Amino acid sequence: MSNAILRVESLVKRFGGLAALGGVNLTVEAGEFHAIIGPNGAGKSTFFNTLTGMLRPDSGRIAFEDHDITGAPPHRVARRGVARTFQITSVFPDLTALENVQVALFAHARRSWSVWPRAQTLGAERAQELLTLVGLATSAAKPAGTLSHGDQKRLELAIALAAEPRLLLLDEPTAGMAAPERLEAIWLVHRIAHALGLSCVFTEHDMAVVFAVATRITVLHQGRVLAEGTPAEVRARPEVQQVYLGETA
Amino acid sequence: MKAQLAAPLAAAAALLALPFGLSDFWVFISIEVLAFALYAVSFNLLLGYGGMLSFGHAAFLGVGGYTAGLVVKQSGLPPALTLVCLPVAAMLVSAAAALVIGFFSVRRAGIYFAMLTFAFQMLLYAVALKATALTGGDDGLTGLKPPGFLAQPRAYYYFALALTAASLYVLHHIVSSPFGYTLRALRANALRVQYLGIDVRAHRLAAFVVSGAFAGLAGAIFALVNGNVFPGWLDWTASATPIVMAVLGGTASFLGPAVGAAVYVVLEVLISGRTEYWPLAMGIIIVILVLLMPEGLTGLWKSAAVRFGARAAPLPSQEAR
Repeated sequence: MSNAILRVESLVKRFGGLAALGGVNLTVEAGEFHAIIGPNGAGKSTFFNTLTGMLRPDSGRIAFEDHDITGAPPHRVARRGVARTFQITSVFPDLTALENVQVALFAHARRSWSVWPRAQTLGAERAQELLTLVGLATSAAKPAGTLSHGDQKRLELAIALAAEPRLLLLDEPTAGMAAPERLEAIWLVHRIAHALGLSCVFTEHDMAVVFAVATRITVLHQGRVLAEGTPAEVRARPEVQQVYLGETA
Repeated sequence: MKAQLAAPLAAAAALLALPFGLSDFWVFISIEVLAFALYAVSFNLLLGYGGMLSFGHAAFLGVGGYTAGLVVKQSGLPPALTLVCLPVAAMLVSAAAALVIGFFSVRRAGIYFAMLTFAFQMLLYAVALKATALTGGDDGLTGLKPPGFLAQPRAYYYFALALTAASLYVLHHIVSSPFGYTLRALRANALRVQYLGIDVRAHRLAAFVVSGAFAGLAGAIFALVNGNVFPGWLDWTASATPIVMAVLGGTASFLGPAVGAAVYVVLEVLISGRTEYWPLAMGIIIVILVLLMPEGLTGLWKSAAVRFGARAAPLPSQEAR
């Protein structure tokens, strides 16, 4: 049909009696930088976790590049070309930064099963390139757990990129950062995604960050899509201002 | 490069020369050390690398031991063939057992994984007690001897040394491979590993099977030096042994558990020869060691090397971890 890379139709996820997602529709066109915003409890995290296979939806359909991935386990979704990062930074703390990326490269090259070759130098060159891309060239040999919070976020990005994804899902990429750092962080993602031609969906609380990079915005409220459109359109919608923008202003 | 080779070469020379300086009794003890070193290192593939605390690892020591006993007693093969069959059968049967036990156990993590492995091991304990025709029941399999010329303790020592060394070589390759890196990543953050496109369960199961196979080989080596296999090998206390050995030696290094095994076995021999309260003495020693050296004996070695300005000895672990 169109050039939608991700198409979500009527996605429902219930926890007990509560519908965390009450029929969410979302279409992401290739090359978009799509922000998902909404107050706490709007269903952003549930949405992400359902997209990536951590949670099984109760009904609805998720299609990535026209492949149905509804209910597929996380490793299958990842194999299709969807990479994600986490709200709570998620690296391998006692591996070095380089090893962190190497593990991701092995997984992508389906070498995680090879038990004989020495891994030490395997893929090290490519891993170093990826670290350079995110600005961590000099930290390659450091255990990931010793990196600063911001650098761990960068490392997470390098790990995600190692899989050569076509869609990048970023769950609050700037969480836990100071305001000036946040813009810098999102610009880094934006620059790389643009250079590599990746589509990107991200959740974010900081409106400055959202309006800096988003090409489209979806507003979730109580598990439903309240509004969707370009940043200018969304900003102009009175109901959005009421439930969300008004709240933070 | 020369300095890197010096330590392993010295260790190899010492291990090869060892039986000449020892009485028969201590040769037997040395073989026991080899068996338990392999047992502890195989266990640490799960704990130290994969982050899986198995509380039923004795299942594989026992299965390997009983398999070796049956091969020696029942197969009726000529000694030369027995010699080949022994390690192969022990590894295959315990790998099969690990495949079944692991299939169910790796579905859960943490304490639930520990409990499942524990339960399966107790199940095997009950089988060993009741399947009298195969296992000899309560009496176990007795009067086991290595086949042919291996009945000579020194000859059997070299047989055991060759098997242990070859196994450690293979295991070291595994932990230094992409698979080994993936295991370490899994220990740190299994959720993240899933999102790299990796089937976490399948990798855990593979590690479990490899670990079980080598524990089985350790059981076979030990069975023939011990002369007997009892259901007690499958008792839960036997599953605590590799945990203690690994922690004592240091789970963060490849050979740490082997060092822990050597210290544990030798201490046990020395103390149990002097007092019937040896478990008490062992307990006290272990408490002190763990409190003083949270990273185990090999951790102590590394920090000492740093403190005295020397480069840490080239433990294979340093590249592996």
